[in-house]
Parts: sequence; C-alpha cells; structure tokens
Amino acid sequence: MKARDQSSMKAVEVKSLTKWYGSARGVEDVTFTIERGEIFGYLGPNGSGKTTTIRCILGLLKSSGGEVRVLGERIIRGRATAHARIGYLPGEFRIWGRARARRSLRILAAMGGRDHAMARRRELAERLELDLNRPVGDLSKGNRQKVAVIYAFQHQPEVLILDEPTAGLDPLMRQVALELIREAAQAGAAVLLSSHDLSEVSAVCGRAGILREGRLVEVAPISQIVQQGQRRLKVWFVDETLLPDMPSADLPDVRIIERQPGMLHVAYHGPSDAVLKWVAQFPVDRISTPQTSLEEAFIQYYRQPGAGRRPGSSGTAEGGRA
Amino acid sequence: MKTASRPPFPFTLLWVWLVRILPAWCGIALLIFLMQIAVSSIVHDNANVRTFLAFLDMLPSIVKTALGGDMLRPGHVPALLTIGYQHPFVMFLFMLFAVGAPTGLLTGEVQRGTMELILSRPVTKTQVYICACVLTAGGMFALVLAMFLGTVVAVQLYDFGEPIPLDLFFRIAINAGLLASTFGAFALVCAASFARLYSAVGIAVAFLSVNYFVSITAEWWPRMHFLRRATLFYLVYYSDLYSGWPLRNMGILALILLMAAVAGGIVWHRRDLPL
Repeated sequence: MKARDQSSMKAVEVKSLTKWYGSARGVEDVTFTIERGEIFGYLGPNGSGKTTTIRCILGLLKSSGGEVRVLGERIIRGRATAHARIGYLPGEFRIWGRARARRSLRILAAMGGRDHAMARRRELAERLELDLNRPVGDLSKGNRQKVAVIYAFQHQPEVLILDEPTAGLDPLMRQVALELIREAAQAGAAVLLSSHDLSEVSAVCGRAGILREGRLVEVAPISQIVQQGQRRLKVWFVDETLLPDMPSADLPDVRIIERQPGMLHVAYHGPSDAVLKWVAQFPVDRISTPQTSLEEAFIQYYRQPGAGRRPGSSGTAEGGRA
Repeated sequence: MKTASRPPFPFTLLWVWLVRILPAWCGIALLIFLMQIAVSSIVHDNANVRTFLAFLDMLPSIVKTALGGDMLRPGHVPALLTIGYQHPFVMFLFMLFAVGAPTGLLTGEVQRGTMELILSRPVTKTQVYICACVLTAGGMFALVLAMFLGTVVAVQLYDFGEPIPLDLFFRIAINAGLLASTFGAFALVCAASFARLYSAVGIAVAFLSVNYFVSITAEWWPRMHFLRRATLFYLVYYSDLYSGWPLRNMGILALILLMAAVAGGIVWHRRDLPL
C-alpha cells in the first residue's frame, strides 16, 4: 500500500473497534476519526467503555475486533507504535511516589530515546505553579494531577489522549490546562478528551462522541448534539390565571417541565410546528426558548434508549476542525 | 501499509530498575560473602570442625544432609567449605533475589499502576520483559560471583593446611548461578502470569521450596532416592562437579532456563495486563 499523504491522513482512526473481556462487553463496533488540530470529546457514563477505547488506541489492550491507526500506523498491542508522538494522561495517574516529580518525569521522557523535554517541562511547571523538586508521594491530589498534565504535554506530542485531564485541579489551574489543550490543537495536535465535565468539553471540543453501554451512539459537532436534545419553550400568557391543559394525545413528544398560572414551560422533540400551533390558540404575552446545555443533551442519551438520537445515525462520523 | 519502526532499547528503564534492586542486591551479596568467610573461619581449624560436626550429629540427621551429608568429615576441607554454598540461609538469600527481583519489577509495576505509564511511552512489552530478564539473570550470576569471591578471600585469610581447589568452587558457583537463574526464570513466568504480587511470589516460592525439600528428603531417606532426579537441584549435584564441568547437566539447566524465560515472555506478550 502506498504511504498516505501526511496532510490527508487522519491523526486517529478507530474502525469498528470491539473489545470483549470474556463474555463482558468493553466496547462494540466503535468507529470515529480525529483530525490533526481537532479536539474530540469522548463522553459516556462510568463503565461505558471510554477507558477501554483509550487503552486499545494506545495498544495497552488487544482489541477483539476492528482496527486502530494513529498517525497512519496500525496499533498492535504491546508494540508501542507511534508512542513517541503520543501524549497520554491516564484517568488514574499513578507514578513512583518516592521519586521527585522532576526525576519521574525525566525518566518517563527519556524512555525510548533521549529526554529533550527539559525546557518544556520547566515552562509547564511554571504555568501550572508546581514545584518539581518535591517527591510525588508528598504532593496533594491536585498537584499530582499537574504532574500528570506535564507528563502528557512535556514532549510536545502530535496526538494527545487525555482521560479526565482537569480532575482535581482548582478552577484557575483548570483554565491553564484547557489553554494547554487549545494551544496543542492550534499547533496541529489531535486531542481525544475524555471527561465527565461537560462544560469543559463544550468549552474546548469541536466534536464529541457519546458512548452508551459500549456502543458509540453519537458522533457529531457539540452544537448539533445540543440541538438534537430536547427543545424547550417557555410561554407567558396574557391571562395570568390561565392554566391550559396539554392535549397529550395530539402532542405525544411534549413534556411539561413547569406549569404555573399564566406560564408554561415545555420540552419536546422534533419540529416546533405542532407545539407553536397549540400555544397560538391562547393569547400569548411573550415566549422564550431556553438553551439546552450539553449536560441536558447528554443526560437525555441515557434517560431513554434512542432519545436524542439522530434519525439514521450510524454512530460514525468523519472529522471536522475544532 | 506503513510499517512502524521498532523503538530503541529502553536503557533508561534498565537503569531505573537496576537502581531500584541494587540496595537489596548489595545486602544479599554482602550476607552471602560474609557467610563464606564465617564458614571458612570454622572449617580451617580441625578442632572447630569436630565440634561443629558433633553439634550437627545432635540435630536431626536431615539437617546434616541439607548441609552436605556424609561428605562432611574432618579433613575433607573442600566439602566442608561448600557448606557456605548450600546452607539453607544462603539458599534463602538466593531465593529472595530469584523470586523478589522479577516479581517486584514486573508484577510490582503492574500492581502499583506505573506499568501503564511505562507502556504508554515508546517501550514495547517485550523490551520491558527483557529488562526484567537481564536484571534477574545478571543479578543471580553476580550473586554467585560474590559467593565465589567470599571463598577466594577466605582462602587468603585462613590457612587450611592444604591447597584449596578454587577451580572447583568456580565450577560450583557457575552451576549454582545457572540453577538460581533457572529458578529466577520460573519466577519470571509467575510474574508474567499473575496480576497480584502475592500470587506470583507465592507460586514461585512454592515451586522453589518443593524442589528444595524434595531434594533434601530424597537424599536423606533411602526409600525416596528415586525422587532425586525429579528436582532441579539434582543437576548441580556436588559429586558431579568434582570431576570437571558437568556439561550435560549445564546444558539441561540452560535449556530449562531458556524455555522458562521464553514461556514467560510469550505469556507476558499475549496477556492483557490488568492496568
């Protein structure tokens, strides 16, 4: 096969990735790609298969099926393919506790080659306000997380795989970590960001994939995911005592969130036409359409199977720039 | 398909692990070295030997068997000096390193959670395993050389009234190194196979202990003589070493060592580590 053109090559390509732990499902038929310069959010509740996917991408686990390529190279378990160009921040960062942070980071940077990261390490430590001369075991949880962030970024990788990168960081340091992620993406790195903090994902990611029970149920731009959630309508009637009943038979997809005399707050799926026509039967004072947050959209993916799912969505998508 | 280049050998990991096991190795080597001096200080004086053998005769006869059996008699200096090589305390020290080094390095890193970080760097699983193999085998041979060095120093310190055949002790040391490395290789298989440190250590210690006690029992109890060949200790039988290099036995030991190391490597490579 011809070597692929660097510019058209996806940084991360996951095709039909499946991983079974005996009879237990890890992930099944997961497909997505991440382009260079893109920050891709990877969402899902605990046990949905996020860490399994990440470990398969890194070749730490052998997939039961499918294929993973990073920077064009096929990942084979244990072969450390392209690892010099990957920055990894594990969900649970455990490092040699007795060694000073500087020494631990230097050892890890020097593995598989020379340590060229000294200047970058110092710069990152300054930005994260971390004293690298202290033993890692003496550091607080937040400071250990800073060591993890430095570990992932110190060798200026072309692909960053970050599992909960800001867990345990204070709000100021969280901002610094998010800036580092944005800067890396602007410099051309592909970033896979797995996080439970959806505000963080919506702040930095262009696209996201949502996992449910080991299957990727959505891969789409964040804005689209939010839009595909329930739409909301808040209506204030001219008659402040009016308390209209919702004809549930005619509007099966409409759910009342809040109902007070003179005010109605509803959520619904699909086109707005039927809801607006029903509301227009009454004298309306004003209406508002509250924004659905990513968190609300995310919760809907789990509240009921199929909810918020794009019709015809296959759970796969090609990359787009963040 | 684009072919991935093999990452360079992780000498950093080798160095880090060497530094980690070095203090324990130095302590064990010093004790083994001093043990040879201590045994020589008793053996060089016939009066001391008689007292020592009289003391041994008061103990259950299996203890004397464990230290050399009927070969232990006044005037038989080389056999008496080998007490320092096969003393249960020395065996325990060797076992400590043979089991502790590979399990501590491989299973220890897995259990500590640091293996995930190591394998996320450009280091293959095979390279990680080779680092553990090199340090285990190298450490074992360095320990037997410390043991031999103890004999060499003791020969300079004490007058035994007869020339001591150091070439015999060198042969014994090299064969002991092979045997110890074989047990180390078995410990590597355990380290590669188990997620928990205690399981790996437990199985390796059980294998070694069973070998040792079967070997002693078979030597001590005539009805059990047939079991002598069932243990690895039979391959470094003292009387075989007297006549020269037991090349056949050394070859068998080297083959078992190699097979165990390769089997451990295959298990390590094929297994999803519990990270």
